[in-house]
Amino acid sequence: MLWEKIKGGMRIVALDAAASRAGLSVGQNISDARALVPDLVVLEHDPDFTTHVFSEFADWHSNASPIVAVADSMAPYGDLILDITGVAHLFGGEEKMLATLVGRLRALGYATHGAIADTVGAAWAFAHFDPGRIVPESELETALAALPVEALRLNETQAAGLNQMGLKTIGQLYGRDRKALQARFGASLVTRLDQALGLIEERITPRVPVAEHFAERRFAEPIGYLDDVLMTVRDLAIQLSIRLGAEGLAAQSFHLFLYRVDHKVMTLSVNAARGTRDAGHIAQLFVHRSERLEGEYDAGFGIDMIRLAAGSLSPAPDVQVGAFEIDDGAEDLTRLYDRMTSRLGPFAVVRSKPVDTHIPERAVKLEPVIARTPDDPGALGDLPPRPLRLLPTPEPIEVIAEVPHGPPLRMVWRRLSCRVLKASGPERIEAEWWRTGQKLDLLTPPAVGEAEIPPQDHADPNKKPVKPEQPARHVSKLASFDPETTVRDYYIVEDEEGRRFWVFRVGLYGASSPPGWYLHGFFA
Amino acid sequence: MSRPKPDLDALRAQIAALEKRPVLADGAALLAQKPEAGKDPLLALLNVPPGVLHEVFADEHRQSGTALGFTLGLARSLIAQNRQALIYLQLGAEAQEIGLPYGLGVQSFGLTPDTLVIGRIGTLPELLWALEESLACRAVAGVIVDLASHPKALDFTVSRRISLRAAAAGTSAFLIRYGKGREASAARLRWHVKPEVSAADPFDAGAPGNPRFVIEIEKLRLGQATRTGQHHLIVDWTENGFVSVDPRKQRPLAPLRRPAPPSRPLPAALGDRLSQAS
Repeated sequence: MLWEKIKGGMRIVALDAAASRAGLSVGQNISDARALVPDLVVLEHDPDFTTHVFSEFADWHSNASPIVAVADSMAPYGDLILDITGVAHLFGGEEKMLATLVGRLRALGYATHGAIADTVGAAWAFAHFDPGRIVPESELETALAALPVEALRLNETQAAGLNQMGLKTIGQLYGRDRKALQARFGASLVTRLDQALGLIEERITPRVPVAEHFAERRFAEPIGYLDDVLMTVRDLAIQLSIRLGAEGLAAQSFHLFLYRVDHKVMTLSVNAARGTRDAGHIAQLFVHRSERLEGEYDAGFGIDMIRLAAGSLSPAPDVQVGAFEIDDGAEDLTRLYDRMTSRLGPFAVVRSKPVDTHIPERAVKLEPVIARTPDDPGALGDLPPRPLRLLPTPEPIEVIAEVPHGPPLRMVWRRLSCRVLKASGPERIEAEWWRTGQKLDLLTPPAVGEAEIPPQDHADPNKKPVKPEQPARHVSKLASFDPETTVRDYYIVEDEEGRRFWVFRVGLYGASSPPGWYLHGFFA
Repeated sequence: MSRPKPDLDALRAQIAALEKRPVLADGAALLAQKPEAGKDPLLALLNVPPGVLHEVFADEHRQSGTALGFTLGLARSLIAQNRQALIYLQLGAEAQEIGLPYGLGVQSFGLTPDTLVIGRIGTLPELLWALEESLACRAVAGVIVDLASHPKALDFTVSRRISLRAAAAGTSAFLIRYGKGREASAARLRWHVKPEVSAADPFDAGAPGNPRFVIEIEKLRLGQATRTGQHHLIVDWTENGFVSVDPRKQRPLAPLRRPAPPSRPLPAALGDRLSQAS
């Protein structure tokens, strides 16, 4: 029995058949229930956990039908919908399919009811109130008529109201004036009725994306070893590549679904930089990907079905590689990037993409090599010298400099002091006024003792605060735009040993807050 | 001692054939390869053939820009029409210590931001895997590994393995290391690079001029270190590649011709083998 805190009391929200035989009911106070049944097993109800477990459970059912959904109109868990159009014959007919699916769950100790009907609403109604039925289209209306109105997925007040009016079965609603029903019980009653009868469409949102091209294999005996799985993947990749080849297609993303006997689905996905249907390459990507999941792999009691699905399809007709084409190795490179990405992760292998802005850490965006976006033609302008390396986060330095615009004469960085022999600058880079809030957020000089500017774009493409394309949102906690505290003056300095650094000063001398000095990069 | 050299080379090739491994190019042989009259042999060595494992040492982390600049200068000459990518590998955690290569800055070393692919990797075993994988790719011109730390896992055996892989695939590998200590390694060439105070900018006496390096070759062949200071050269990086500077004129009276602003993409066809690539 499960309980939940409702209106200040610990009340029962769900109970099993044995408990209801003992006279307990939903909504009862838990202490009353304990008085009735002293040895009651009471567990707290965790809706999030239940929802999560149930959705995993739903995913597992995609081994029976490609379109599986959780009917969340009444509760976020508990009702499973399978679209079995064109699937039933694989199980030897609808009756056998229903018996198989319900039977295998019962065998595992779940109390399960099922029904097959033409509409989602009708199937729900029969599964709850007349389980085990398979209702053909012609009998749908008459079969539904006998069920109680609760079978229409109504809320409690609607059902109670209908019962009070003497409308106990669905059949009694058929001839009623729809406007009156709608006025009294809300539009949802009419909608539900129409949905059950198939007069209006009800959409199913599949949990697992439907793949058009896939290859799968079922095992009589569940398998467990990762090596076995990878060997199967190799076979499936060959099947899939033949299928894709027959239609002249290539795919960029591949998803592997491992169906475990204990109702869990493990998914593994890999992406390729360009479309491919090379079975060896696909299999190798999965081998690398599997090395990245050390420890995460858990076959449970075994895997009884494996499916390999292809996504992001693009046409790739067979062409002869011309004898006059120049071999620039581009294909080898993309393969290399695919392999590295599948093992190291997409954000580990990146390229620099110039962006049209003057803010140095924004002017280069690190993007995954396998997900290239077109270059910005205006980005590579004629810029003053730029350093060879940039620190992901500028580091504060102590500087002795001439006021107001002199370059540093002496600086202390990482506790080592050096004398500056040569310097050029300043190169003034203003904050971009059209992203006022954002720039202020990045560039507010740190308070005394606090020595860090928040990580910026160059640091980690994973955690981009706001993409440059998006307009900055107004952030109220920030001070209003003040050019005197956000302007940066960059200097190239060279110390007495010839090391060349890129340092900048944020803010101006004489402004409301004192300027801060930072080291941002290294020159050769 | 008077054994003729060709015999030794033939013997080496024979052993290599028996062991089914590629013949490793010998640094000393490389040095002897281009005895152009009037030129410092070390300068010729800056144009090394592919398939060699280099080590580039800088004294401290704050010289990481110098080390990378010199390495890019070496690696740039390896870019050919069918080998267009340079792969740079770094441990993700060390980026804040030594900095990340900056796409707009590498242009001053003749590379487009696109050419340099950056790998930010979590662990050393994965980094070594990525290194071997990249070396094996025939479209990669060179792999640069930048290690701020001194991991135990990178020992002689591993470096031997890398050097064999590099020789087999004809792809060069560059290991950038920091510090004064030297560990045993199978690198063919070990460079020691230091920054040097640059010549003044002719138009702004107070501004730094072209990047200037002091390079020293510490090792030319397996198991044989050169004496310190034996091969020693001061070079400037210009738009035409490395140019030797006379060490006696530490501060040349007439400064070098100022090249075009170094940030502009340099014509890559100058000073390297790109234009002659097959």
